[in-house]
Amino acid sequence: MANIRIDHIYKRYGKDKHPVVKDFNLEIRDKEFIVFVGPSGCGKSTMLRMIAGLEDITEGEIYIDDQLVNHLPPKDRDISMVFQNYALYPNMSVFENIAFGLRMRKLPKYEIELAVKKASRILEIESYLHRKPRQLSGGQRQRVAIGRAIVRNPKLFLMDEPLSNLDAKLRVAMRMEIIKLHQSLETTFIYVTHDQVEAMTMADRIVVMKEGVIQQIDTPERIYTLPSNTFVASFIGSPQINLISGRIQENALGGLEFLTSRLRIAIHESNAELLRKHGQVNRQVLLGIRPENISLEALFSDAVVTGTYRFTELMGADRFIYLDIGQDQLLTARVSPSVRFEPGDKVRLGIDSLKMLFFHPDTGVRFAD
Amino acid sequence: MRLRFSLSRISFVVLMLLFAAFMLLPIVFIISHAFKPYDELFVYPPEFLVKHPTTQNFVELMQVTSNSLIPLSRYLFNSIVVSALTVVLSTIISAMCGYALAKHPFPGRQLVFSTIVLMLMFAPEVVQIPRYLVVSRLGLMNTYPGHILPLLALPVGVFLLKQFMEQIPNSLLEAARIDGATEFGLFLKIAVPVCMPAVATVAILAFQGSWSNLETSAYFMQDDDMKTFPFFLSTLTSNLANNVARQGAAAVATLIVLLPNLVFFILLQRKVIDTMAHSGIK
Ligand SMILES: Nc1ncnc2c1ncn2[C@@H]1O[C@H](COP(=O)(O)OP(=O)(O)OP(=O)(O)O)[C@@H](O)[C@H]1O
Ligand SMILES: [Mg+2]
Repeated sequence: MANIRIDHIYKRYGKDKHPVVKDFNLEIRDKEFIVFVGPSGCGKSTMLRMIAGLEDITEGEIYIDDQLVNHLPPKDRDISMVFQNYALYPNMSVFENIAFGLRMRKLPKYEIELAVKKASRILEIESYLHRKPRQLSGGQRQRVAIGRAIVRNPKLFLMDEPLSNLDAKLRVAMRMEIIKLHQSLETTFIYVTHDQVEAMTMADRIVVMKEGVIQQIDTPERIYTLPSNTFVASFIGSPQINLISGRIQENALGGLEFLTSRLRIAIHESNAELLRKHGQVNRQVLLGIRPENISLEALFSDAVVTGTYRFTELMGADRFIYLDIGQDQLLTARVSPSVRFEPGDKVRLGIDSLKMLFFHPDTGVRFAD
Repeated sequence: MRLRFSLSRISFVVLMLLFAAFMLLPIVFIISHAFKPYDELFVYPPEFLVKHPTTQNFVELMQVTSNSLIPLSRYLFNSIVVSALTVVLSTIISAMCGYALAKHPFPGRQLVFSTIVLMLMFAPEVVQIPRYLVVSRLGLMNTYPGHILPLLALPVGVFLLKQFMEQIPNSLLEAARIDGATEFGLFLKIAVPVCMPAVATVAILAFQGSWSNLETSAYFMQDDDMKTFPFFLSTLTSNLANNVARQGAAAVATLIVLLPNLVFFILLQRKVIDTMAHSGIK
């Protein structure tokens, strides 16, 4: 049970001028599941390790339950952490691995026994408590690592890419278990991953980072539907969002349309208002539209694109088709898997113009209300 | 396919056995030499194995030692005290030093490590005089610390343990730190157990260095009752190059000096073989 406040955190390594974490601000509510996501090297682990107390804070303040923890050693922060490589003590049995933290805190023996039994029951690792870590599979090791983290009932769980060493199927199963665990433990979680699916499925709120700077903090739904910039828009979602550069122009009826050399797409009133407010009429912008908001049936007769079919990707339930829409741009659209085209076919697609997003062409920031 | 596999495997094992046997030869020779009667000791060309084993050499050694002023047990006691303390202390010191060098970045760490590696290259004779000065100025002549102190610094041990401890993933220590272990707890509960094979190897090296060490007895101990057992044996049998007398006793003495090394090694052997086989901790 913990509220965490992260206040203007900076991190520089050594005499490096360039910070790896820059002006990081975040308030985490009690029992929240927060996911840090971003490409490799963006500073997720560094931020997590500063919260854990494993890394010095160059500048700024971290509060756990209104207590300033900047100079508190990790063991006094009442946290636990799961590492990517499990970090199980190789010289100890599974039981001892889980019990280690309790022994360090000098709990009575029967309490240790009880707590370890309970944690191992939750994680279904009772049957190999006597084994050494090297006698376990990757998935079992990960369970032990999680068991070691939950046995102490900490205020805050930190997990640094705990599932990235597991195979795809196991990862999905463990993902579910961590979600269940969060629900039953009612504790604050901070989870680091570079996997957008993990972020989307697990988080209450996602923190998207790039080069040490927070790009957006929001719920998965809002991150997906209302990304704050092109980086977030393309980082989350697979296949990636379509980004098409073009111009905003007024049409004969007084509405706005989006124009490229080969496309002319009418802009819905709600968006038109927004673009006018930002003074984007007769300016270059980036149009963002997700593949699933483009379909073979036209919802709006004036929001239609035509392109040359190039290739397809079948993903089980969905088929993604890639169209050449000129200017070296490919447009991805989600269609039903039964649809077939021949390379070179001209395809007409309708765009859900309510879902169109507009970004500044230079800064990549989305025009928002 | 299966046959070829097993054939190559057999030939490999045979080769290794031959190799092992070859490495064993000196030990076999020392053991068999101790049981040779005088005529076999001097036969030319020398025989490798004893033909008519006898315990006569042991009796001779007993006679020689019983003539000495100080009882044999006193030398043995000295040796055991000195070796035990040296092994324990120098292993602890090497492990602590290796841990600090491997896992605690501090300014000048590289310099310290380079200095230690440099010390590996000095022949013992070079440090003879400085050692003498240190021991005498500290007033450690004729004391147990005078035996132990010169052998405490074990650059090989530091080197070996530093390399081993560097292999410990940082996350292992961090996990323990979060679990509430103190710095010393990390060292004792994680670093040392994880590096046990290397620690055992260092203990063996320390034992070999101190058990068969004659130098401290020769230079720093003037009182006879402070000298060690191997030193005593070596005085019994020195200057025998062209001497017939006491050759039997000398053969037995050599065996007796060798035996504890052998026993100590066998005791810790499993751990050491681990060291060779397993260079990293994954
Ligand atoms: N000890 C260090 N000294 C210097 N730079 C470091 C150190 N640790 C990390 N960095 C740098 O800090 C940046 C952020 O690293 P960090 O480990 O936080 O990335 P990450 O987001 O966790 O990436 P990944 O997804 O690959 O784990 C990287 O550019 C890295 O090179
Ligand atoms: Mg990382």
